[in-house]
Amino acid sequence: MRRSILTALVALLVLVGLGSVAVATGGGSTVTQARLERSLTASFAHVYSQQARLLGHQGVTPASMHAKAMCDDGADNVGPGSSWSCLMSWHDPNTPMPSTGYGHFELNVHSNDCYTAGSPSSLVGFQTITDKQGRTVNNPAYEWDACFDPSSSDQPTGVSFPSALMLTATSLAPDAQGKATVPVLCATGADGCAGSISVTAPDGTKLGSVPFDLAENETAKLTLPALPPGTKSVDLALTYQRGVGSTGTTLPVTGS
Amino acid sequence: MTATSTLPAAGPVTAGTPGRPGLGGTVRWELRKLRAQRRTKAVLLGALLGPIPIALVIHAQGRPPKDTLMGRYATTNGFALALLVLGFAAQWVLPLLTAVVAGDIFAGEDQHGTWKTVLTRSASRAQLFVAKSVTAVGFAVLTLLVLSASTIASSVLVGGHQSLIGLSGQLIAPSAALKLVAASWLTTIPPTVGFACLAILLSVWSRNPAAGIATPVVIGMVMQLVGAMGGVEALRPYLLTTPYEAWHGLLAAPRFTGPLVEGLLTSGVWAAVTLAIAYALLRRRDITGG
Repeated sequence: MRRSILTALVALLVLVGLGSVAVATGGGSTVTQARLERSLTASFAHVYSQQARLLGHQGVTPASMHAKAMCDDGADNVGPGSSWSCLMSWHDPNTPMPSTGYGHFELNVHSNDCYTAGSPSSLVGFQTITDKQGRTVNNPAYEWDACFDPSSSDQPTGVSFPSALMLTATSLAPDAQGKATVPVLCATGADGCAGSISVTAPDGTKLGSVPFDLAENETAKLTLPALPPGTKSVDLALTYQRGVGSTGTTLPVTGS
Repeated sequence: MTATSTLPAAGPVTAGTPGRPGLGGTVRWELRKLRAQRRTKAVLLGALLGPIPIALVIHAQGRPPKDTLMGRYATTNGFALALLVLGFAAQWVLPLLTAVVAGDIFAGEDQHGTWKTVLTRSASRAQLFVAKSVTAVGFAVLTLLVLSASTIASSVLVGGHQSLIGLSGQLIAPSAALKLVAASWLTTIPPTVGFACLAILLSVWSRNPAAGIATPVVIGMVMQLVGAMGGVEALRPYLLTTPYEAWHGLLAAPRFTGPLVEGLLTSGVWAAVTLAIAYALLRRRDITGG
């Protein structure tokens, strides 16, 4: 009995010792941005062309898709975790890319160099799809598992996509001075979002413009120029120095 | 039991042989002791029949176990099912099946107080050590082969043999998938031998069959846990559980075998070091007390 407790203790001590050495010498994870980007595009091209075959879509092969991906874990871009997300663009004559030019994929990456990837349903569809014979079948591209070679190339792929700016409000609520704020979100992408929003009243009066400059994955509340009392709605026109997104929208004004 | 009935018949032969028996004789003798144990048969029978209900139960699940690798298609594809069971077996089943014999083979002599008898009557310590190690490792490999064959056969019979989606998303034709699944199971031989040697060391050191059998399983689980943690991945190449995941490379396209080679090396070092320590311990031991 004493011996077994000793065994367990020695084993534990050895592990703790090795663990601290590993932590002290700094991670050394094989999970990196470049490996994920290469593996994700290759595995997605395979499952997506299987989906195309099920749907009876022509002209989709792994080679013809030219998939490109940019991955980001919101921190140092090394190591396993469920916070990896990737932007990917590809070519499919049957399904055009959205205006941003890419879809957003969520990854759960494990320390054993395997990961589970989830697709954007807007582009790839849901868990089940209707195949060309009309049967309900599993969608192979909805979610899939893949593993990559830990010694595969770690050279940066150089793929970068602009961040997308989104207005996250559907109406404006000005305060007593006629000042209203509009919440904006700059999604994952390279370089963040910068530009300006110019505000115009429905009668064509220019009310001024507001600059914005956000890092990726950042939200902000932009304060618009004072709205004249009685304004029912305003037109917002967006111009970008960095990032992409909608070029204009009309928001109703509430409480006036 | 058949073993007990053959004992008297074989007795005069060993008695009549002048000097000490060779290695072959010692191994035969260990094998006979192994055959006489009920637990040996239980392990082999378990490895043979166990996969059948497991395959049936997983196949009958309404929701596939998606959080495990290959679980996504385990309910609809026999090859995926066999690989899911492989991932599960590597967690603790293979170390346990291995340790049932390897963890007991030295400590059993302590338990029965038979060290003096076996050493004075027949063979040197070195011969005994080699014979016992060869027997334990051989049994581990045999159990693994039985478990592999049974799992693959029952999985394919229960789950069917459709094309398999590999670990790069590629479709693998059934005939190629069968070969890859069999090869994947065979890649677990090196770490299983490593675990057998670890169990031998613990068996020699603890002198307690229970500790010899249970401790390798616990160590395996701790290594499994450490290997799955983020931040300490620099340790992964040294863990005996990492080679159990080397088969992933076989199912990828293009195939990669780096982890297999690395795993072979890791398992070899573990086996060599644990056996060396076990031998040193056994040689230095004072057995006169019995």
